Amino acid sequence: MLASKQCVAMLLAGGQGTRLGVLTQRVAKPAVPFGGKYRIIDFTLSNTINSDIDTIGVLTQYQPFELNQYIGNGQPWDLDRLEGGAFVLPPYQKAKSGEWYKGTANAIYQNIDFIDRYNAEYVLILSGDHIYKMDYSKMLAHHIEKNADCTIAVLDVPIEEASRFGIMNADKDGAIFEFEEKPKNPKSTKASMGIYIFTWAKLKKYLIMDEEDKNSHNDFGKNIIPSMLNDGQRMFTYDFSGYWKDVGTISSLWEANMDVLNADSGLNLSDSRWKIYARNMAEPPHFIGSNATISNAIISEGCEIDGEIVNSVIFQGAHVEKGAVIRDSIVMPGTIVRSGAEIRHAIIGWNAEIKESAKIGEYQESAIKGEWQIAVVAPDAVMPAGSIVKAGEMVEGGNK
Amino acid sequence: MNKKMVAVLFASGNESKLNELTIHRTTASLPFGGRYRLIDFCLSNLVNSGVTRIGIVTKNNYSSLMDHIRMGRDWDLNRKNGGITVFPPFVLNTSREVYKGKIEALYTVLEFIKRSPEDYVIVSNTNVAANIKYDEILEKHVETGADVTMLCHKACVNSSKRVIITKNADNLVTDLRAVEIPSDEQQLVSLNMYIIRKDTLVSWVEQAYSRGYVDFEKDILFKEVANNNIYAYELDGYAAIIDDVKTYYYESMKLLDTATREELFGAASKIYTKVKDSVPTMFGAKSSVKNSLIADGCVINGTVENSILFRGVVIEEGAVVKDSIIMEGGIVMKNSKISYFITDKQVVIRENNQLSGAYTYPTIVVKNKIV
Repeated sequence: MLASKQCVAMLLAGGQGTRLGVLTQRVAKPAVPFGGKYRIIDFTLSNTINSDIDTIGVLTQYQPFELNQYIGNGQPWDLDRLEGGAFVLPPYQKAKSGEWYKGTANAIYQNIDFIDRYNAEYVLILSGDHIYKMDYSKMLAHHIEKNADCTIAVLDVPIEEASRFGIMNADKDGAIFEFEEKPKNPKSTKASMGIYIFTWAKLKKYLIMDEEDKNSHNDFGKNIIPSMLNDGQRMFTYDFSGYWKDVGTISSLWEANMDVLNADSGLNLSDSRWKIYARNMAEPPHFIGSNATISNAIISEGCEIDGEIVNSVIFQGAHVEKGAVIRDSIVMPGTIVRSGAEIRHAIIGWNAEIKESAKIGEYQESAIKGEWQIAVVAPDAVMPAGSIVKAGEMVEGGNK
Repeated sequence: MNKKMVAVLFASGNESKLNELTIHRTTASLPFGGRYRLIDFCLSNLVNSGVTRIGIVTKNNYSSLMDHIRMGRDWDLNRKNGGITVFPPFVLNTSREVYKGKIEALYTVLEFIKRSPEDYVIVSNTNVAANIKYDEILEKHVETGADVTMLCHKACVNSSKRVIITKNADNLVTDLRAVEIPSDEQQLVSLNMYIIRKDTLVSWVEQAYSRGYVDFEKDILFKEVANNNIYAYELDGYAAIIDDVKTYYYESMKLLDTATREELFGAASKIYTKVKDSVPTMFGAKSSVKNSLIADGCVINGTVENSILFRGVVIEEGAVVKDSIIMEGGIVMKNSKISYFITDKQVVIRENNQLSGAYTYPTIVVKNKIV
């Protein structure tokens, strides 16, 4: 008999993340690098352990190898435990059937045994594609205090942006009476962050019912939450304030990286009380050469920098040669930028090479409707000398 | 398990010549190269060469070493079979005091050596930063049939005692002598790293101990030269022997040379260290950094030239740091200018200071001090 865990976290990491284009062609979205030395999933994994939840199932399906290898035994996040810890849970063959995860709810349904194994009272459902720092233990305390069946974390968003989110309409007490997915005329500004706590016995019942419904999309937002609301279950909002960003698009991924550079953005990674952990690459310190000029930038271990870096995030092991210019851009791990290359408002994937005098991206004063025209070069791509990539263009990768 | 080598490392050595840098720590835990401790190079080389049973003999001030190594996980040495064993200073019932020299030290861990299933022992100091492939050296050792293979490197003698090796064309050692007079002449200097057949080592140490000998080099190796059983293995690449303040400063600054870094870090074999989960380094709008090695977690708003910054160093606006080494957590406050300084961990240089050491005599500021 395994020890009981009050709360087990389930992290949905199986999505393809098609809107990130070439960046997620070979890796799942949660494995995409972020903020100089992290992966997107580091934020949820670190939040989980920092919230004293030590049992987490990571549900993978799309391109899982990179993610599986990255998570490993969970040690970098202190999730290598005698009982509990981090588990990568891909779909598997069962006695009666075996199938892919059909939707977010189905992914949890297929892992009912995993949650039951820990006698969990509550289940925390997380997505692996958000950048934020949050203490889930406070949300759990709120859930218990309200004697809720389901608690949904919500963020106050500007009313003009509310129609991009799933909006929770709740009374003063936070009791949800209506849920609208991307409403044209939003009635409130409380946007769902895709973070749910369920009382497990209740959720399990609804997952089994949902599975029996052949017309269901097996999705939390589309099916489980609406049917629980219909049945008048106790559902509450949990107000979160602080930095939170869905990095599901190139534009938002770029913006969130720029927020790391901006002290006023609310995204502070250097708070020692809430560390974000990452798997360590054992790189030496970075070296800044005699020809480098650097202003407002983040540079990580293993880099060799001899060019000009302004408003940019440079990941581990990237090399920037003398005379290269990088502005308002993100250069992912192991990429080489040769002399005379110019990179502006761009994301360069990992292990790429930008050859001499190539021009990637174009300067932009501001974005139209929050959609920046970011040039993207795929991981492993080699951009020939003198080549040009226009603003908003996406270049396919090599076949390394 | 077909491991061939077990390693015994000495955490202490030359502390007196390293002045204030080793007041609080062993030589093994001396910070080096922006994010490492000297022992990291040793441990990483062993692990990368397939040596995973490692004993570390301590003498004094070893709490910083214990804190650094913990269970050895950061070097992949938290193993069921082997891994790291740290031996706290061991007081022999016979002598009732902590060991005086390497012979006594080895005698205190003789059980560990005897019980190890491996046939060869690496006996090594921990004050060398280099990329060493012990597996390749063992092959040579077996090929020559030597009792001992001594690792050596061309270097100058400095203020610390160094053993000078004379060898013939077949690498057979023909003479060993200890020298303590600084000179500019490059000689073949012992790295105090040996590969020795286990049975030989055990019998040498037992016999030398029973006769009251102390010095492993002088009392054993120097005498064995006559038996034509000691071979030398010369390391061609970069190897930094850190045994006084001058070599510490000089070898640190050499890391600003790209070719040196490639030799030390560029190979497929990585150098591991304790993971601290620092954030990447942040360069402010007014920063100006040239020719410097910078670890993670720094915040730089001032000027840094020809310097090494360890993890979590803060350089405030208007501050200028030149030709200096700032260890972990150091802060140089507004408009202070320092050059040729080595500041230990958590040192704070207050505002508007203008301080300078000299290239041949860098100024050391002791851990936790405020200037």
